[in-house]
Amino acid sequence: MVRLLALIWLVVLSFPAAAQDADAPIQKLLQEHGEIIAKSSRRTIGPAIDALGSSSLPKASEVLEKWQAKELWQIKESGLFVYTEKVDSKTEQMIDIASGAAIGEIAKRDLKQLKPNSGIRGMIGAALVKFQLQDPSPFARNRALDAIQRDAEDTHLAALRDVMGGEENLEIAARMARLERLLTIEFGADEAERIAAIEHFAGDLGVDVRAALNPLVAVRIEAAEETPEGDDIVRVLTPGSEMFPREDAYDILVRAELAKPRISRDDKREALIANIQAETVAGVQVASLDSEEARDLAYASLARDGVVDAVATEAEVDETLATFTFYERYTGAPPSVALAAAAVLAGIETKVALNQTADLALDAVSLASIYFLAAIGLAITFGVMRVINMAHGEFIMMGAYTGFVVQQFVADHTIAIVLAIPLAFAVTFLAGVAMERLVIRHLYHRPLETLLATFGISIALQQIAKNIFGTQARPLTAPGWLDGSLVFNDIVSISYIRIAIFVLALLFLALFLFVMNKTRLGLEVRAVTQNPRMAASMGINPDKINMLTFGFGSGIAGIAGVAIGLYAKVTSEMGADYIVQAFMTVVVGGVGNIWGTLLGASLVGTLQKGIEFLNPSNTLAAQTYMILFIILFIQFRPRGIIALKGRAAEA
Amino acid sequence: MSHKILATSAAALLAGTVASYACDAPIKVGVLHSLSGTMAISETTLKDTMEMLVEIQNENGGVLGCQLEAVVVDPASDWPLFAEKARELLTVHEVDVIFGNWTSVSRKSVLPVIEELNGLLFYPVQYEGEESSKNVFYTGAAPNQQAIPATDYFLEELEVEKFALLGTDYVYPRTTNNILESYLQQKGIAGEDIFVNYTPFGHSDWSSIVADVVALGADGKKVGVISTINGDANIGFYKELAAAGISADDIPVVAFSVGEEELAGLDTSNLVGHLAAWNYFQSAESDANDAWVAAWKERMGEERVTNDPMEAHYIGFNMWVNAAEAAGTTDVDAVRTAMYGQEFPNLTGGTAVMLPNHHLAKPVLIGEIQEDGQFDIISQTEEVPGDAWTDFLPESAVLKSDWAELGCGMYNTETASCVQIKSNY
Repeated sequence: MVRLLALIWLVVLSFPAAAQDADAPIQKLLQEHGEIIAKSSRRTIGPAIDALGSSSLPKASEVLEKWQAKELWQIKESGLFVYTEKVDSKTEQMIDIASGAAIGEIAKRDLKQLKPNSGIRGMIGAALVKFQLQDPSPFARNRALDAIQRDAEDTHLAALRDVMGGEENLEIAARMARLERLLTIEFGADEAERIAAIEHFAGDLGVDVRAALNPLVAVRIEAAEETPEGDDIVRVLTPGSEMFPREDAYDILVRAELAKPRISRDDKREALIANIQAETVAGVQVASLDSEEARDLAYASLARDGVVDAVATEAEVDETLATFTFYERYTGAPPSVALAAAAVLAGIETKVALNQTADLALDAVSLASIYFLAAIGLAITFGVMRVINMAHGEFIMMGAYTGFVVQQFVADHTIAIVLAIPLAFAVTFLAGVAMERLVIRHLYHRPLETLLATFGISIALQQIAKNIFGTQARPLTAPGWLDGSLVFNDIVSISYIRIAIFVLALLFLALFLFVMNKTRLGLEVRAVTQNPRMAASMGINPDKINMLTFGFGSGIAGIAGVAIGLYAKVTSEMGADYIVQAFMTVVVGGVGNIWGTLLGASLVGTLQKGIEFLNPSNTLAAQTYMILFIILFIQFRPRGIIALKGRAAEA
Repeated sequence: MSHKILATSAAALLAGTVASYACDAPIKVGVLHSLSGTMAISETTLKDTMEMLVEIQNENGGVLGCQLEAVVVDPASDWPLFAEKARELLTVHEVDVIFGNWTSVSRKSVLPVIEELNGLLFYPVQYEGEESSKNVFYTGAAPNQQAIPATDYFLEELEVEKFALLGTDYVYPRTTNNILESYLQQKGIAGEDIFVNYTPFGHSDWSSIVADVVALGADGKKVGVISTINGDANIGFYKELAAAGISADDIPVVAFSVGEEELAGLDTSNLVGHLAAWNYFQSAESDANDAWVAAWKERMGEERVTNDPMEAHYIGFNMWVNAAEAAGTTDVDAVRTAMYGQEFPNLTGGTAVMLPNHHLAKPVLIGEIQEDGQFDIISQTEEVPGDAWTDFLPESAVLKSDWAELGCGMYNTETASCVQIKSNY
């Protein structure tokens, strides 16, 4: 008896929580679709989302939102759905989805987190649109618009029109207006409405507009004995042209069962060979099958005997093709809509081509500025001093690592970059001076030895960087205000980091010109490079000038490293990626002239982008072609674009 | 009394096993991973993994009563040097087994040496398939264990209709993309809806390629990117994606060579939702994985992460240990025979099985990149048996590999004959 009481007490005690959990209408609705929700596949999930989206339960939208955010969990044993709050790494606090009340802790291993993939999240988003469009938070309304943009449904159009008038946030209102036009193109009630929406977008460059219009002008090639009249006929095709080969035309007839199939000559021959009986095929001597007509006849008689399937001969193909005409028919939309879309698209395409050229030019300028930045230090050490410094790339790498180290100590990225630039200059300046004093000084006028020695130093520096910083790429994060791109339209855009690099390149050009032309150091550098002995007799210390010049060139490489690290990556090998391009830029431009280096960088950058555009599937091949072109170019202008003349050239 | 007897007999038993295998020298395990050069970025981690595995095994009593000794050499990312170093391991150090290689080109360089000297190599990285050597166990994923399921996921779950196959220009991306192109066309994707691009190692100028990918969406079809971009070129690629503001919901990117290690060099806040396909993620929930991650972090530091090739070495090494114990020797042929059918629990909660074609049966996982640089596993299949010869290229569909029954790695099922034994194709 006591036992029974205890049992009843236990049941009473434990039941309320569970009962409240399982009997709520929203929980029941979820349970109904429990299996497909747990399976979580886009192909089968549809009914569950539809049921939640169309249910009038007040909790439905909350459940959808939580589910989309991966915050819905399922208890493995009972299959009930709950929200959770983390207690510790192994335990979760369960929260009832109907009441929002905490209903006890559970081990995490007894729960299954529902993780809808992005396909399902898109579907949930589409179902949430009608709730979120009227949400007071602009964030939620924007999310609803995102969802419409991704997975538009015909119901969205009406929902959008309902809320459009009342929208107060100007940005969102503009987005809504644009989306409403786009949806009208796809789901508009009548043709006039759709055409009006299409014409609204004349000249618009948005990818979303083209994505909406292109499906409307889809065509299918059809065949008939006589070309039908109608607006939906795009054009008549003649079989046998390069665009529309005879084979394709005949295949269309075969597929429509308007003609017999045909087989290739080889297959026909195989079929004949397979049916050779005592030197004859279908009663014809094998030796006499020496022409296509003879083989056709033999095959036809085989077909009459039922040995092989009847096929069309070449002559029959020609005959059949002559009796049919072929034409393209709009299949994506009613003819008037399709025609309107085609007209608007034609206008857009020209603009797209123009803008693509502009984008390409922008890319080329950006690449040129990167090469210029990588080469400007080399323009000093190689261009002015004639030292072939293979370790130039490693100075770039040292500058980038300096930036990385600064970021480890300074949390604010903007300040970090401002600090990193002079520090990178200082570090690489010192490294350059040390290298000049210890190695290069002893090797002036021995280019081969310099090349080998600096190449060795470059390998050593790479390995040292690996030992210090490890082999993994290190992040050099740009300040927040350099995130994102400057967007002119959907085609022409450029990231802010690239603009910053461009500006930096211009600054360095100015700095170089200033130092070389307006300062005493520049004067002395020019004097020493033109005639060291004469300069020495004028009281200039060539040793000191050489050291400072080399340090200056290396320092600029270090700053370039910070810039390159921002847009690409910081690894021990990053310098090696730029050394070839840097030398190429200096050599093509003309050794010893900064304007030449600028022209060289523009030429190399434009050329590379141009070839990439012509051969989009293989960037490596594009680079190979570019190097081939430059070898040719050097053949004709061995001293580069701007060749030094006079005494300086012989120095 | 009874306790005493038990203890004595146990001691005798222990002494017996130890004595039955004369252990006059430690068993040598060769580690052939680049510690310098381009590939050091990925391979150094695997060297550390092997040293840790050997250490753990030695604490647990070694193999066949002997201690293990890891012999580490550095092939310096120099492909021909891989062959030299493999020869050195087998002839000078006389190792019983080698764990090593990352790139396919380095594996191809080692194959003739391993086959000539009858060595044993465990290769831990996902690769392009189309190869089967008697002397190599492939513990990484074959295309049907990574590329094909990921493509299916794109087709079925994300309803992608247009594909951009971006890759680094060498043997693995090219072969994989060939297989994928042929597979996609069989699935009804038109040739003009597949955009292919190859870039050099370490490529950093991605803006025009990203613009090309965005432009693919102009005809209203959903675009997806399948990336076989390798190494540090990924950093520039993802930075450019983020700068262009491409959300994973609009144009998803699934990568086959980006794991936890590679993401460590990146700010992932703009990459949330992009995908990777592997057989293992650090975020897998199992007790074995928790222990493994904890051990790794304790040894290497809290900020270090684990990744898929490490799990491949973990499985491969433990299977080798068990096979050697089962065979009672570390002789290559005996161990090889004992390897077939070896089972070992993988770190994602299932069981890996060694198949007669020298590949593993492993589950395929698809993960979404999260803010913390880890992956959220959103899809996990049952164990998929690895297939050395893909079914989606006509010339290799007829081939199969079976070293246990047929003793052949390139067996033509149509003509029922062995095409060749050596893997010098």
